[in-house]
Amino acid sequence: MSDLLNKVAELLKAPVTLVQRSAEARATASGVSVEDVLNSWLGGESVTSSTPKEEAPVEEVVTTVEEAKEEAPVEEVVTTVEEAKEEAPVEEVVTTVEEVVKLKEESSLTFILSVVFVGLFTYFFGFLTTGNQATALVEESLNNTIEISNEVYVGAQIYSELNCQSCHTQNVRALIPDTQNGKVLRNKYASEAVLKNVGNIRLGPDLSTNATREPTNNRQWLTRYLNDATSVNRDIPHPKYNFLQDQDMDYLVTYLLSLGEINE
Amino acid sequence: MKLKIIPKSEQDLSKFFLVLFPVFLIFSLGTQFLRDAYFSFSNLLPNNQIFNYGFLDRLYNQLTFGLTASIILLLSFSYLFSKSIGRLLTIFPLIFFASIGLVGTELLDVFLNFVPGVTMYNFGNSSLLINLKIISLVGLFLFASINLLIKKEAVIFHSAQYIYGGLLFYLISLLVISKKQVVFSDVLLTNVFYTSTHIYVTLSLIFLGITHFLMTKTFDSTLFSRTLSSITFWGFLFLLPWSSAKYYYGSVLPNWLENVSIYLSFSILIPLLAFIVNYLKTIVSRDLENSNAVLLKLVNFSVSLFIFTNLLNIVSGFDNLLPILGLTNYVNLVSQGYLASMFFSIIALSYYLIPKLFGREVTFKSLDNIALGGLKFGYLLLLLNNLFIGINSGYIWNAGANTGSPTIYGEGFNLAWNLIGINYSLSTFISLTLFVSSSLFFLSMIKAITSGNVTKVEEMVVSSE
Repeated sequence: MSDLLNKVAELLKAPVTLVQRSAEARATASGVSVEDVLNSWLGGESVTSSTPKEEAPVEEVVTTVEEAKEEAPVEEVVTTVEEAKEEAPVEEVVTTVEEVVKLKEESSLTFILSVVFVGLFTYFFGFLTTGNQATALVEESLNNTIEISNEVYVGAQIYSELNCQSCHTQNVRALIPDTQNGKVLRNKYASEAVLKNVGNIRLGPDLSTNATREPTNNRQWLTRYLNDATSVNRDIPHPKYNFLQDQDMDYLVTYLLSLGEINE
Repeated sequence: MKLKIIPKSEQDLSKFFLVLFPVFLIFSLGTQFLRDAYFSFSNLLPNNQIFNYGFLDRLYNQLTFGLTASIILLLSFSYLFSKSIGRLLTIFPLIFFASIGLVGTELLDVFLNFVPGVTMYNFGNSSLLINLKIISLVGLFLFASINLLIKKEAVIFHSAQYIYGGLLFYLISLLVISKKQVVFSDVLLTNVFYTSTHIYVTLSLIFLGITHFLMTKTFDSTLFSRTLSSITFWGFLFLLPWSSAKYYYGSVLPNWLENVSIYLSFSILIPLLAFIVNYLKTIVSRDLENSNAVLLKLVNFSVSLFIFTNLLNIVSGFDNLLPILGLTNYVNLVSQGYLASMFFSIIALSYYLIPKLFGREVTFKSLDNIALGGLKFGYLLLLLNNLFIGINSGYIWNAGANTGSPTIYGEGFNLAWNLIGINYSLSTFISLTLFVSSSLFFLSMIKAITSGNVTKVEEMVVSSE
């Protein structure tokens, strides 16, 4: 049979292993022997298939041999296609092709719909629904009776643009800052757009109670620290913000001094 | 080396992205180095609006998870998608414009950081640009769907299905960040779902798509099991989007979300095991004579990183570890792990594609080996270093030094810094290693493309289309 196999492989210009596998699959599907299949491919005699829908993608042609190892059915289909083109009566093939194309489209459609369902489920159920629940939880604990001055608002925007949140959190968790588990702190900026500045990684200290602790409740100390942290502690690797204009630095410090004054 | 300004086929488009990838890898890792240097040595370096840690950190995130990730997604899409479904892509000109639209808006987003007066955010600098990205992605997703629908075979091939899922979840992540944030819980939720959909899912699926192609094609082996591959795909697709919420345990997010996240994180073990078995069984059947040893090592390394990262993701779900590991560098570590595994798979694909697309042989001489060795060493050290920082800083903040109620601000930080300061300095040198290695990788690619031995270019032909 190996001679036969080699001849067919040579004729089809395909690897022997692939031809063998295709022939075996074809033989199983058609209920005939592998030799019969190979002979039919070599001599042009058609093999009657018991499952015509399996063999019909007449229009399909393989792009490359590369994917074939992973996706052998393509090669299999190709050999079948060539055969079908040669042997099958035209009208019959057209009918079969239409049926099979419909079948295959349904297969792809099922896959596409399933993937889209998972994506939409994640977005609507995971993100939007959860978001509404979380908003309700936050609003329950809000204390927004305090008005926010323009200076604080601008300072918060500067804080956000300097990306201070890349190192500092502001009460992301139900913890007392820098300690173990504790109560949930309220945050008076919860309903403000500036609250894009809640951090996610606590590398430096949490700032939600910044203004209630020594020495960061001191405007002069804070200004000096932000301009050059080494002037108060030479071991602290805090960035220098001495490039900020004086007014912007004032706004930033005003914002930092507002953190924690009514948090509880 | 010929690059067409307006590509006429997938091959031309793949060439375009293949050259872009190492360029932006250098930018990304260069920015990472500057960022780390400005963290550890900010006192010694001049600070201004651009050269400061906060700005460079934002720039790094946009360059890496936005621009470079989009280029990698499009490279894998343009080459592997058509390969995998077995036909040239229909409506290619529209796919090309959608691809350029996505990369262009990501690039514009990065440039906007340097425009004075523009308010900058980590996820994108203007709602207009985010909407443009969404339109481009919707277009790409629709065109990919059309190409899948007109495919005639019953089997959805594996590389294509992973990349298709990657496209969808890239789109979902853009929808997540485009939603208006009103209260501070929205910020947390946006971070949770951006991290899980954009980084965990999209980057993982790109990695898996490339790996499923390479582990069969490059090594002349046959995929061990389609069923295991399907378990891998659907498992990661279902589970990963929920797995990052656990790091916000105890926050204002609903409790059910945090609990679901923990349990589903443990379940990641199922698709992970399916992938490991499938990979090992497939690799075992490789053709020893035709297997490229360098590519095999690269793929093995990327798979090892992927397994390691998923194990980190799973382990952090244990309730006695979670309060320590959440909100620390450990969270960054998991993201970096997914990123690194994708980087190494795309690097392997790049070396594989040079002879196919440019007709030049890659010989893997000293320059290539040094570049790859440096990248491997750098990423391995980076992950281990971040693991150490994450565990130690989290332990100090949550359990160790601050068991009382310190009133002197920053005393906790001093204790933390004494333990992890040296690791941050080490991070800078690791980033330098990665930056230098990525530059060498770029040189290696250019050298191979321009002066490698001539070999046969692959023909991407569909005869009856």
